[in-house]
Formats: sequence, structure tokens, C-alpha cells
Amino acid sequence: MARSLTAGQAHMGVRRLNAIKRAIVYIIVIALAAVILIPFFWMLSTALQQEGDIFAWPPKWIPDPPQWRNFADAWTAMPFTRYLGNTLFVVALGITAELASATLVAYGFARFRFPGSDLVFFVLLATMMLPFHVTLIPTFLIWQHFGLVGEFDPLVLRAWTAWGPFYIFLLRQFFLTIPRELDDAAEIDGANTLQTFFLIMLPQIRPALLAVAIFAFRGYWNDFLGPLIYLNDMKLYTMNVGMYFFMGGVNEAPQWNYLMAMSIIIALPVVLLFFAAQRYFIEGITFTGLKD
Amino acid sequence: MGHHLATFIRWLLTPVALTAIAVALYWLFRWIGWKKKQAMGLALVSPWIVGFLVFTLYPLGDSLYLSFTKSSIFGKTEWVGLANYIKLFTLDIEFWPSVRITLLYALFSLPIGVVGALLVAMLLNNRIKGIGTFRTIYFLPAVLPEVAVALLWRWMFNSESGILTWLLSPFLHLFGLDKPNWFGDPRFILPAFVIMSVWGIFGTNTVVFLAGLQGVPRSLYEAAEIDGANGFRKFLHITVPQISPVILLQIVMGMIGALQIFTIAMFVRPSTAAGKFMNQLVYERGFTQMHMGEASAIAWVLFLIILILTLLVFRSSPAWVHYESDVKR
Repeated sequence: MARSLTAGQAHMGVRRLNAIKRAIVYIIVIALAAVILIPFFWMLSTALQQEGDIFAWPPKWIPDPPQWRNFADAWTAMPFTRYLGNTLFVVALGITAELASATLVAYGFARFRFPGSDLVFFVLLATMMLPFHVTLIPTFLIWQHFGLVGEFDPLVLRAWTAWGPFYIFLLRQFFLTIPRELDDAAEIDGANTLQTFFLIMLPQIRPALLAVAIFAFRGYWNDFLGPLIYLNDMKLYTMNVGMYFFMGGVNEAPQWNYLMAMSIIIALPVVLLFFAAQRYFIEGITFTGLKD
Repeated sequence: MGHHLATFIRWLLTPVALTAIAVALYWLFRWIGWKKKQAMGLALVSPWIVGFLVFTLYPLGDSLYLSFTKSSIFGKTEWVGLANYIKLFTLDIEFWPSVRITLLYALFSLPIGVVGALLVAMLLNNRIKGIGTFRTIYFLPAVLPEVAVALLWRWMFNSESGILTWLLSPFLHLFGLDKPNWFGDPRFILPAFVIMSVWGIFGTNTVVFLAGLQGVPRSLYEAAEIDGANGFRKFLHITVPQISPVILLQIVMGMIGALQIFTIAMFVRPSTAAGKFMNQLVYERGFTQMHMGEASAIAWVLFLIILILTLLVFRSSPAWVHYESDVKR
């Protein structure tokens, strides 16, 4: 068949086939986008429904009239303002400590070698595979030994020891891309290690610092298990623990419009941050190929 | 505010202590004859080493020890040998269902998450218009806090009025199912969790694969086209080998993540008839029933499962993972 066509006809055929192929690709890509977006739409729709419409069958897609009050009502149904303050406190201390320590440690791994440094780095990478729960109970006992269970300390002090192996790995990779000549030149000019670090290296890895800050924000903001086991005074709860109790007991019927409103509020800072700094987010993820 | 201030002060003192340790280590190792740069490297890395010893290595050993004891948070510890493990393996009615659902969840969600994301990434890699927008949309679920994801899906799967129950009802009718009780019926819990996880993980995997695909040199495809290779052969002989290191990483990290599912399960609160996920069991035994020994034993079983599966994947990798630097023998 193909052989009997002239070159021009064959070319047309290929083009038409390509056009059809492209159309199919677009249809699939758009359909998938819809599948991903529908739940978001449904979340917002439920958040704005009035009490009686939530359990309508078939479900009502467009809230009529939209109950913007739901957001305020849900927010004040529990002391969420206080919980937000607590969460921001934990997030701020956690990110600061994490950034400071992870940067220094990563710099150490990137630029210095000492007997056993390869082994130490290997162990660091191996800890990525350690399930969190296997160290959970002894860690709890340590904090209990120091009388700090019930305080914020277990959630924020540890950040000073650069406990996110991903962050160290990411930052180290960035340090490695900086030409050695820069450090050498600084050294010849008489800068000491810390001066080189702060004045020469840090400005070079700003994108990586931002990526780590964003990941750390997401990590602390989304953390649930830590606050759940360490905070037992209701006044110190974070947003996520507040949500857990806001959800109600096993036999209580959840108030879905309020829960969706609160879910949106909880998701909003992370989503906005993602939009604002998408480049760093995606760079960070593709750089290490890691998540969470 | 008192709690905040006290924590803040201790938070300020911690780096002082860590710096003191770093300086002490520096001089100690200078004293035993290390070069300046060597001692400096150790000093810089020392905060991580301290954290590792205190918060990883010691707890790891301690939890292994605790798994051979009967202990509660407040009571004293009593050595019981293998009793916890024997009880788990033979008497405990919650243990095997828990192992089963945890493994099945990983078994189903992982391949769908990896293969599906790879296919979607390949679609996006077709030089289509608006790729940035699609990438953003696909990545959006991965950004959401797990708490929000769990609540959203629990509501969408609501058996009375969930949107998913409604959208799927024509399809479900074919199987003679009216409104299934997704998270209440043991038969539906696993599918529901897998669907939820796929929506959630897809984005990250897709973005990573997309970056990997964009790194495959076009010249390879062009050479194959000259040789007359079709799309499938190109996929099999160029795309897969070229991005196999990325696939390996996604499999390992995805597996570790799936086996550790916790927050989502806590918020979805599925019926326990199909079993609780292993991390839920660790939490319940340890922190609500105060059986620290049993909880540690479960955690160690999970740890060993993860370790063995990870090693198996790595052992299999030379057979299918292709690195640029490999020398043909």
C-alpha cells in the first residue's frame, strides 16, 4: 500500500496521523487534569454548602446560596486561632534550626574530607530508609526522661541536628556545583572557613536554601504524628491535632461542610507557597528525586 | 505563653551546646594529629553525628531491646525474651491482618503510581502546549497536607452522598452494587486507599519522571528512528534504560512511603475489619494502650520488612538499571 503512494501523499498521511496522535494526547492530558481538579472543586463546593444540602442525592455541585460563613463558623468552633499561633511557632523555630544546621553539615560533606567521612555520608543516606516509627518510642522515652513531653521541645530542638537527610543531600549537591577556585581564591585572600562559608558559598546556593525552606515548611506544617504524641495540653495543640479532634469521635457524624472549609484553610498556605515558589519546589524534587 | 517562652529559650541554647561540642571535637582531633581541614570537616558535620547517635542509633537499639520486654511508658521494664514476637505471630488477632493490608496497599499502589506516572510524564513530554500549566495541575495534589487529602477523600467516598459514589454509581450498578460503604466494608477499603494514593502521589512521580525524560538525549531517538524502530521499541530500548535510575529511586522511596502510611489512615478512619495499617498499630499499642514492648516489636517487624524489600530491589537493580558510566564488559 504505502509503496503505491507518491512521496507527497505519504507525507500528508504521516501528518494526518501525527495530528490525530496529538489530538489524542491532548484529550488524555486534559481529561487527567479534570480528574485531578474535580476533587478540589468538590472540596470548595462542600465547604460552601448549607447544612441541609450536604447529603443531597444526587449531590449538588453548586452551593446555593454559597455559605461563606462556614469558614468563620468552622474557625471559631475550636480555638483554631490559638492552634495557628502554636503551629507557626513550631514551623518558625523548626525551619530556622533546620536551615542553619543542614547548611553547615552539607558544607562539611561537600568541601571537607576526614577519615571516615564517606562512611558517615553513607550512613546519612541510609537513614532515609529508616521507618520513622521504629525510633518513635525510645525517642519519646528520651524526651520523657528530660521532662519535656507536653512541651514543644521534642518538635523543634532536634531540628538543630540537621535531621532531614534529604535537605543535607540536596544542599550538598548544590555546594558541589560551585567551582573550587572560588574557595581557593577566598583562602588565598586570607578568609577563614566560616568567612568563606558565609560570604562566598551561601550566596551561591540561595535557590537550594529556598527549596529546603519550602520543604521544611511543608514538613512542619503537615506534621501530625509528632504533635499528636508530644502535645497533651489542649492549649498547645497545632492545627493538625486540632483538626483530629475537630473531626470528632469514632461514632460521631462529621460535619462535612466545616471539615472541608478547614481543610481548605489548612491546605491554603502550602498551596500558595507552591504557586509562589513553584520553580524551587520542582527543582528540589527533581534534583533529589525524593519527596516528603 | 509560658510554654512558648521556655521552649524558645531551650531552643536558643541548643545550638550553643552543639557548637561547644563541635569546637571541642575540633581541638580533640587536632590534638591527636588530624590536619586542620580534616578536623574542620568533622566539626561541621558533628551536629548531624550527635543527632544520629542520640535520635537514631540509640533509639534503634533501644526499640530492639524494648521489643524483648514488657514495658509501659510509666511502669518498669521486664525482660520477656521472644514473648512479644511469639504473641504477635500466634495469638494476636490484629497482627496478621495488619501486615496483610499494609503489604497489599504497597503492592497495589506502588506499580500504579510508578507506571502510571511514567506514562503521564511521557504524554507531557510530547512537546505539548501549556506543559507548565499541566505540570502545575498534576502536581497540586502532592502539595496538599495529608490531613486535607484524607478528609477530602473520606468525604468523596462517603457512602450516602459522596461525589465518587455518585460518579461511579452507573459503573457500580453493573456489579449489582448500590452505594458501597467504601471505608466501612473490608472489600472496598483497599481499592479506596489505592485510588486515594494514586491521586496523591501521581504529581511528584510525574514531575520527577518528566525531568528524567527531558534528560534523555534526542540523538538516541533519532538514531533509532533511522534504524526503523517503532514507538514501543524506542520506549523499551531507549526510554526505560535511560531513566532506569529514576525508576529505581521512585520504587524504593515509594515503597518505603507506602509501607509507612499513617496520617491518612488516622484521618480516614476506615473500618478495622480489614486490619489496621502497621504504623497505626504501633501508635495504638504504644501510646493508647501503653504496651511499649509490643509496639516496638511491631515496629521492628515493619522495619525488617522494609529492609528486606529494599535490599531485594537493590539486588535486582544491576539486571535492569542502566548507568551512563557503566562500562560494557
